[in-house]
Amino acid sequence: MRSTEGSRLRGLWALLLAAGLLLPLGGSALAQQPIKIGASLSLTGTYAKLGNNQHRGYQLCAKHVNEKGGVLGRKVEFVLYDDRSDPQTGVRLYERLITQDKVDLVMGPYSSAISEAVANVNERYKMPMVAPMAATTAIFKKGRKFIFMVQSPAEVYLEGLIDVAAKRGLKTAAFVYEDTLFPKATVVAPGGSVDLAKKKGIEVVFVEGYPKGNTDFSAILTKIRAANPDVFGAATYFDDAVAITRQMKELNVNPKLYGVTVGGDLPKFYELLGKNAEFVYGATQWESTLPYPGAKEFTEAHHKEFPGADFSYHTAGGYAGCQILVEAVKRAGSLDGEKIRAEILKMDFDSVYGGFKVEEDGFQVSHKMVMFQWQDGKKVIVWPENLAEGKPRFPTPPWGKRE
Amino acid sequence: MTTVTGAMLAQVVVSGLLAGSLYALVALGLALIFGVMRVINIAHGTLLMLGSYATYWWFTYLGWNPYLSLPAAMGLLFLGGVHDPVDEKPLEKRAPELSSLLLTFGISISLVNLAQLAWTSDLRSVEFLTGSYLLGPVAFSKARLVGFAFALGITVLAFLFLGRTKLGKAIRATAQSREVAMVCGINVGRIHLLTFGVASALAAAGGSLVSVIVAIQPEMGQVWTFKSFLVIVLGGAGNYPGALLGGLLLGLVEQLSSLYLTTQVSEAIAYLLLVVVLLIRPTGLLGGRT
Repeated sequence: MRSTEGSRLRGLWALLLAAGLLLPLGGSALAQQPIKIGASLSLTGTYAKLGNNQHRGYQLCAKHVNEKGGVLGRKVEFVLYDDRSDPQTGVRLYERLITQDKVDLVMGPYSSAISEAVANVNERYKMPMVAPMAATTAIFKKGRKFIFMVQSPAEVYLEGLIDVAAKRGLKTAAFVYEDTLFPKATVVAPGGSVDLAKKKGIEVVFVEGYPKGNTDFSAILTKIRAANPDVFGAATYFDDAVAITRQMKELNVNPKLYGVTVGGDLPKFYELLGKNAEFVYGATQWESTLPYPGAKEFTEAHHKEFPGADFSYHTAGGYAGCQILVEAVKRAGSLDGEKIRAEILKMDFDSVYGGFKVEEDGFQVSHKMVMFQWQDGKKVIVWPENLAEGKPRFPTPPWGKRE
Repeated sequence: MTTVTGAMLAQVVVSGLLAGSLYALVALGLALIFGVMRVINIAHGTLLMLGSYATYWWFTYLGWNPYLSLPAAMGLLFLGGVHDPVDEKPLEKRAPELSSLLLTFGISISLVNLAQLAWTSDLRSVEFLTGSYLLGPVAFSKARLVGFAFALGITVLAFLFLGRTKLGKAIRATAQSREVAMVCGINVGRIHLLTFGVASALAAAGGSLVSVIVAIQPEMGQVWTFKSFLVIVLGGAGNYPGALLGGLLLGLVEQLSSLYLTTQVSEAIAYLLLVVVLLIRPTGLLGGRT
């Protein structure tokens, strides 16, 4: 049993401490309540890797905003739940955040699929949602007023791969995609990979989707090996990007150009695959080496705050999305949904993530996509030429002919 | 869409059999638990997951060859299963199957969440054996080939154990009829624990073999539980050679439908097969109890 003498002293300290903290606040304590920003994130489940990166982006943004004095004279505080990479769960959580937790603002979840599902919720309550991890055009073309895009659309994720292929005179292409909203849009939506390839005179010899969570790609890769395309593009997330690359080696599938979309840019991709990740191209919405305002400082701050943590454009996107919302609230001078929306529509803003400018329906028109290649364990930006730091190592040598 | 050549078919048949052997190994454990204890073990895939993690940690921190640490993984889960803290006796009295379903479901969720807390959802894998042997146009993934060999080997040993040893016969006797087994002097309670231990060991072996092939994460077991149930229905509940046949069949069906149709459809086809078998031959292809 602790001595009552000690606990009385402790109680006295606590009182003094509390008084000391409250005194400088003076005025109305109620106005110092933090602004609550609600969101659900994929902290577990298939999208966990990327959801956690986005989470760190949100956390770091809140920290920096608060260090600079907060917004509207108040600090910001995230109220976050885990949607387990499931759209239905996300919907439930946003309802809860808005109606029960009574958050003042919301931020978007991870992935197009979940963003699409929850968009109806924040639309109903007229809460503007900056959705930093939703790259599917369709989400923003349904007449919604309160959702705003940060990413370049899904359709252009493999544009770099196709452009490089066309410039090298390649003739045939194959595409596969996880059969969910974003990867499917990347490949088959109007303006997606299939259309882009055809426009550049490349024949698409094979296109197939696979179910989310699929781990065995032998049949798909067998068909691809038989079709023998020059270029192979896979619209993936992380697990499948790793599995497909590994199984390509097992089944000896050797296109001259092979690229993935999401997941290929994570440091973990190279960690898991090692040398087998060499020559793989990946699409990225952002790299820390790009000349965007504050990008370098953001990267350094992240590594200091979260040493050893995985870091990707999802982290930066999360950070920038929150930056954009806070900026809009500042300009609006209020937490009113309509006022914030009006400011977002007027913004032509450069965040650490690059350009941000949306059309009336929330569709992003300013942000640029880049393509990199894994070279000697490093991601080297190889496209577009005006942002490139190096040249593509072309063609990708067959598996048997590498060291 | 794509015309299927002989080489493609051969490749896919090989892939199917390699995958199927693992299904068979894991499903055998489930068949044992159901046959002997009448317990529907929803946590079966979770046991596999634990086996995978064990192999991963031993490989990462101790540098143990995953194939050599396989017996250790089996031993570890055997001990865990044998000391099964869950007392099924009250369950056996009333509605054993339903209660066991809920109980093992609960155990599964707890274990998966504990794993997420302890090890996070980060993907792990044992980078040990990559690449494949090429035999003409057909590639044999090294990791899957070795997995196949082990899976068959262990399955054969399991059959020998069940068929030739006294303990194995006692297990089969208990599966056939608890009451008569008791009358014959078999300690049914001990047999139940032993069976759970053996089945857990088989799941762990599957996990060990699979750790070199797929990504390891806390929820990886789910799909294995589903497939094990599929295999058991296909082969016949409680029918052990049926588990082997069912496993190989499932592997083939998945790969062939992926080849001739699409990979998305192959999942549906497997479940369609399940429905067809249940309708036409509910006791499974090789017969067993319903």
